[in-house]
Amino acid sequence: MTRSALGTSVVSRRRFLTTTGVAAAGATLLARAPAALGQQVRELNVWHTEVEPQTVKTIQDTSIAEFERKFPGFKVKQQALGWGDLNTKLLASLAAGSPPDLTHLNPFMTASLYVKNLLRPMDELIRALGESDIHEATLKLQYFDGKYYGVTHAMGATYFAERRDLREKKGLKPPETYDDMLQLAAALTEGGRYALQMPGEKLYMGFVHPAEWLAGNGGAWVDARTWRPQLNGKAMLEALDYAQKLNKFMPGGWSGQKYLDTLAALATDKIAMAHLSGARTIGYIERYAPETMRDPEHFQPMLRPHGPSGQKGVSALDGENWAVFTQSKYPNEAFEFLRLFYKKEHYMAYCHSVPIHLTPIFKSMINDPEYLSHPRIKKWKSWHDVMVNGLRTNRFLPIGFSRPEDNRLPFLAELDGSSIVADMVVEVMVSGKPPKAEADRAQRRAEELLTQLGHKRWS
Amino acid sequence: MRKNALAGWLLLAPSLVLLGGLVVFPVVYNAWLSLFDKHAFLPVQRFVGLGHYVYFAHDEEFWNSFGHGLVYAGATLVLQIAVGIPTALLLNEGFRGRNLLRGVVLFPYVIPTIVAVMLWKWLLNDSYGLVNHLLVAFGLTRTPVAWLGKDWIMASLVITSVWQFFPFVVVTYLARLQTIPPELYEAATVDGAGAWRRFRHVTLPQTRSVLFVIVLLRSIWMFTKFDTVWLMAGDGGVSRYIRTLPVYAYARSFTYLQAGMGAALAVIMFVMLIVATAVYFRVFEREEAVS
Repeated sequence: MTRSALGTSVVSRRRFLTTTGVAAAGATLLARAPAALGQQVRELNVWHTEVEPQTVKTIQDTSIAEFERKFPGFKVKQQALGWGDLNTKLLASLAAGSPPDLTHLNPFMTASLYVKNLLRPMDELIRALGESDIHEATLKLQYFDGKYYGVTHAMGATYFAERRDLREKKGLKPPETYDDMLQLAAALTEGGRYALQMPGEKLYMGFVHPAEWLAGNGGAWVDARTWRPQLNGKAMLEALDYAQKLNKFMPGGWSGQKYLDTLAALATDKIAMAHLSGARTIGYIERYAPETMRDPEHFQPMLRPHGPSGQKGVSALDGENWAVFTQSKYPNEAFEFLRLFYKKEHYMAYCHSVPIHLTPIFKSMINDPEYLSHPRIKKWKSWHDVMVNGLRTNRFLPIGFSRPEDNRLPFLAELDGSSIVADMVVEVMVSGKPPKAEADRAQRRAEELLTQLGHKRWS
Repeated sequence: MRKNALAGWLLLAPSLVLLGGLVVFPVVYNAWLSLFDKHAFLPVQRFVGLGHYVYFAHDEEFWNSFGHGLVYAGATLVLQIAVGIPTALLLNEGFRGRNLLRGVVLFPYVIPTIVAVMLWKWLLNDSYGLVNHLLVAFGLTRTPVAWLGKDWIMASLVITSVWQFFPFVVVTYLARLQTIPPELYEAATVDGAGAWRRFRHVTLPQTRSVLFVIVLLRSIWMFTKFDTVWLMAGDGGVSRYIRTLPVYAYARSFTYLQAGMGAALAVIMFVMLIVATAVYFRVFEREEAVS
């Protein structure tokens, strides 16, 4: 058969090779094409717990905007979630093997994730941020086996928010001990107004506050050496007795109400003290309190009292830490994002988005005139001072911690989730059951739980 | 013939694959998982055989949750029927505005659960709720009732659930009522039967089968109801007083992080419902045979 016999369908070798070469080059180029040619933009997923709209906007306008300018192939997707939602969503994403690239974690969850090898160290970042400038209250919370596995985003102390004017009218000082507190509560319960209200969420009344009670009464969740729970120990029993007495000065339905309800009740004169408060309360006061009372002369934070077996009252420090998972898709970019997040002007704007509630982790910034010049900080300076004073006198521990070493307990998240402590507290406070019997029951359940989770070290 | 059978199987295959993948596999996998001590989000597991089942047999929380589930399912079932059937009978009558009322009655059933629960939590709130406001205004109580507190939380949950789900009873029962031949009522009236006797001797026997289905479905659905119960007080300290088995199973899986235990609870609920359904069928069949 001759070439001519094949007619026009015949392609010369040269032409075939040229066409194939061009096609292959084209395909290669397309496969490696830049974003402008249609490459999919990569997404850096960032989850955090600061849900205030102005905070979300600030992050978007500062850190995210600069990150996206520096890394044009990336788009940052931030998701602001409340604590409870974050924990649930995070665990589900870990189970599915697709966690976010960067996230907030509650310090009480971090150890549990660290021992399961799920976190990346971030020593280089910490050094770049200035290790010595990061406040001691947060620096080593995620420091395991010589490496840093987290960095706190900002600090917000929790405390009572009180009607200072009412207390002063009674001629009483801020309480130092449980007994002082009960006296104050009795004095402030009058005329249809209750002395105080505790938030009804399990997380608070069944974990955050019991941890504070233990810390402020010389107790701990577990024995330091054997990890045996200490729920029916002296410290907890004294605290339960105190809580049961305190219940008399709270509205009957408190256990069915939430944290934000307590702030609204304080601002609208239904109670004289909100048991759980932070600088966010200022927002409620400024919005809902009578106009003539929206000032620190009427509303003031008050640190926790200590129990008969304790030396000083301890409050929870609200300060989630940033963490990068080993399964993170873009870990390097996540660390780059953090560098931009902590860049001075970005971080200042972030902290100013909810002043005092987002107190900077950098010692140099806490007293920086530029930081203090924010109008709300100027007006509510006494709230800022309580924060600084508490930090100076070691009155704060991270949420859910009964002592600093609790950062090494890999089961605090499970203990919180189990409702064991919440059930004990609600039975004692609301049902008025004897503390000892309920504490024994909780102790038995907690021992069972730790045994099931493989953390039993006692015999 | 064989060719036809093959074609039949081929046509059935997609459905069988779907059923197998979406129904049979999860059930079998869940039963398998219940034999392991499995962490909720880590690929770590240890075979424990029937250990979880033995544990739950002695677990106080399990029995508390079981008890709450029985109270909740029982109370809501009885009240849904007590409210639903009279409403269906009413809506079966001819009167002005009947069609509008039929639409209104359906409203609670068509709104999302989260909306229904939020609505009732607002109404029942002891600080600013309308219910307490009215109770105090009419002098029925001096101090607001803590509807969402320990003593009333189960009652509040039952009220919310009955409000949300009684329209199912109304619609199902009404559909059957509309198919009863009017001649039966006419004959009964001619025989001198009043409203009550007509209901007892005509309506009830004619609607037995639909009542059977209503009781069966609603009891299963209420016993396994999760969302309403969880939203009512899932994250609150008072959840202890309304914690049902589905909520406990969720907690074991996702807050205690013990997925194997959660799976065991799901299997236990599955078996309980199968046994209860079988007994119910048996009783109904026997009664049918007698009547």
